[in-house]
Amino acid sequence: MAETKPATAAVESPVLSRVVTALGDMVLEVREQSLRRGWVRVDPARVREMARVMFHVVRGRLATVTGLEVRDGIDILYHWALDADTYVVTVKALASRPALAIDSVGQDLPAADWIEREMHDLLGAEFRGHPDMRRLILADNWPEGVYPLRRGFKAPKSDAAGNRTPKEWAGAPIKEEAARKRSEPKPPKPGRTLINIGPFHPLQEEAEFFQLYCDGETVVDMDVRLSYNHRGIEELSTRMTWDQVPFLVERVCGICSASHPWAYIRAVEDICGIQAPPRAEYLRTIVAELERLHSHMLWVGLAGHFLGYNTVWMWAWKYREPVMDILELTTGSRIHYANNRIGGIRRDFTPDMYPEIRKAVDSIKKPMEMLTKAVLDDPVLHARLKGVGVLSKEEAMRWGVTGPTARASGVPIDVRRDDPHGAYGEVEWNVITQDEGDVFAKAVVRCLESFESIKIIEQCLRKIPDGPIAADVDHIPPGEGVGHYEAPRGETFHYVRSDGGPGPVRHKIRAPSYVNVPSFRASCIGQNIADVSIILASVDPCYSCTERMARVLDATTRRPLYTFEDLVRLSQERTRRLMKKL
Amino acid sequence: MSWRTWGLKRSPWVYHVNVGACNNCDIEVLELLTPRYDVERFGIVLVGSPRHADALLVTGICTRQAEARLRAVYEQTPKPCVVFCIGVCACTGGIFRHAYHFSRPVDQVIREMDPKAIIAYVPGCPPKPEAMILGAVKALATL
Repeated sequence: MAETKPATAAVESPVLSRVVTALGDMVLEVREQSLRRGWVRVDPARVREMARVMFHVVRGRLATVTGLEVRDGIDILYHWALDADTYVVTVKALASRPALAIDSVGQDLPAADWIEREMHDLLGAEFRGHPDMRRLILADNWPEGVYPLRRGFKAPKSDAAGNRTPKEWAGAPIKEEAARKRSEPKPPKPGRTLINIGPFHPLQEEAEFFQLYCDGETVVDMDVRLSYNHRGIEELSTRMTWDQVPFLVERVCGICSASHPWAYIRAVEDICGIQAPPRAEYLRTIVAELERLHSHMLWVGLAGHFLGYNTVWMWAWKYREPVMDILELTTGSRIHYANNRIGGIRRDFTPDMYPEIRKAVDSIKKPMEMLTKAVLDDPVLHARLKGVGVLSKEEAMRWGVTGPTARASGVPIDVRRDDPHGAYGEVEWNVITQDEGDVFAKAVVRCLESFESIKIIEQCLRKIPDGPIAADVDHIPPGEGVGHYEAPRGETFHYVRSDGGPGPVRHKIRAPSYVNVPSFRASCIGQNIADVSIILASVDPCYSCTERMARVLDATTRRPLYTFEDLVRLSQERTRRLMKKL
Repeated sequence: MSWRTWGLKRSPWVYHVNVGACNNCDIEVLELLTPRYDVERFGIVLVGSPRHADALLVTGICTRQAEARLRAVYEQTPKPCVVFCIGVCACTGGIFRHAYHFSRPVDQVIREMDPKAIIAYVPGCPPKPEAMILGAVKALATL
């Protein structure tokens, strides 16, 4: 591990020294890991002040927070991405035993809201002053006081019949009633209707159950319950070896299965201080950009479906097929590529693949242009999407959103440019931004980004160097590292800690939708119910099921009023009405 | 063959239940409906409510939170119906079988409620769309 310096010692990196100066006397120790990564420990009594300084003075973006059990308590790691400075600084504060309590940052900064609830669920840390400590990601029938990320936790084994009853936790009786109470939604105020959307929804911690509080047709508040899709990948990862983990993390999310392994591998390569050979970096870039291409086309299709343009859905998915074929040709699988590894890549491309890739990429240029024009010029879409679900630049920064959601709100962040890796520093491409922050802007960003992906792939194919495809890595030394990558939906962020053993001892994964989804509270409120489905869709919350169960319940009788189909129909009818008007 | 089974074999309407999947099987299920595979040719239509469905396409490990919801969905589906376990997660738990939030395999949840349930398995991670079509054909042929 790199040496620890007292706070007063000179810090080499100008960025880190700026951070240390801004934080002033709350800094306890400073550690520089590399040119782009720094670690600072601060006084745990002053974390709220720390967050204020980091957000307002240093202008950092709170990427995520990791909870980590250590000897003296729980270390809370605030990962701040300084996008303009190509730097990630992690601020540590200790919530010491026995109280395991620390001041809540989420009460000032909404970006920390969910993650503090999650750490409370998984580690039992207490956050003083957090406004809403209800259960977020563990199931209703999970026993109180059993924390899966603490030392000594044993995942329950199945008996011969496969049953895994909560009785296995003899010491921690399941307080189902109490737990359910904690998981229950806030009751709506009189005269307001509670509308449920969900619960089925994919991605690691992203299975969502939205509850809209409505006054007439206007949404006045909303609430989200996760857990339906929570599988416990972070805990599972600590039971695997270094080289098994990429296979696990590509199953965090099917459409980001190039992005998650890459972010994990960047974190591990950060620990080892190794660099993959250039050819491997190019190959990683090509696969990741193909993935972005198919993901954006998928989104265009599904957004079309939500608005009642089913032709767009069918066409976008038809034109997406050549990309899937290329991914199968080059990696062996349409979706889970399994081609990334620590130090490089598993399978090389053969020269006869290049013309195939070029052909496929060429074949989608025209349809993509057509789809983009259809979006940009259609008066109905303008009427339907402009000014809808606006997320202002200030709100976008406070919620810490990433990816197309941030870029459509005028926040010019993109990990590919802000923390160059792969082949991104060596090819010409642009970061697409829009200032409006509405659904239309998000659609435009995604459409235009597809062309940038095509540009990147074409240049990579021209410039790809020969050489080895993997560096030798025989040992992962003790240490900790962070890695991030710009997945199609935004930044995916991984923190990995090694003790020199066969696998990670802590692995924190933060998927992009985890920060994008809570921003609905900023963008949905004050909107019409018919617009909500497209606003929810506009951040591309990694949904796959257009038939996601959604019900509108009458607040007093709890009788269903609308199903999700009705909501989609409402949305589609609204488009049709507009079409007639125009 | 009863008329109910006979009816089940023609134009099966499907409802898609994600009980903790990584999204991939779900995308591939939707892929089936789009122009390249276009299973609507055979009358297979994705419906928005289990009450309209002849078959359930279950994807993902059954998480603790989703188990009760899976039961509710199965209860609402008119019988007889076919439960397709799409993907290795739904079949066995797959790579997540040791995860703490995994409840138990989908078929056990269904069997406990209805010992006579018709369950078909399409393994793969994710199964290719062709494999899903083959699974559907085989399952319907055995009825």
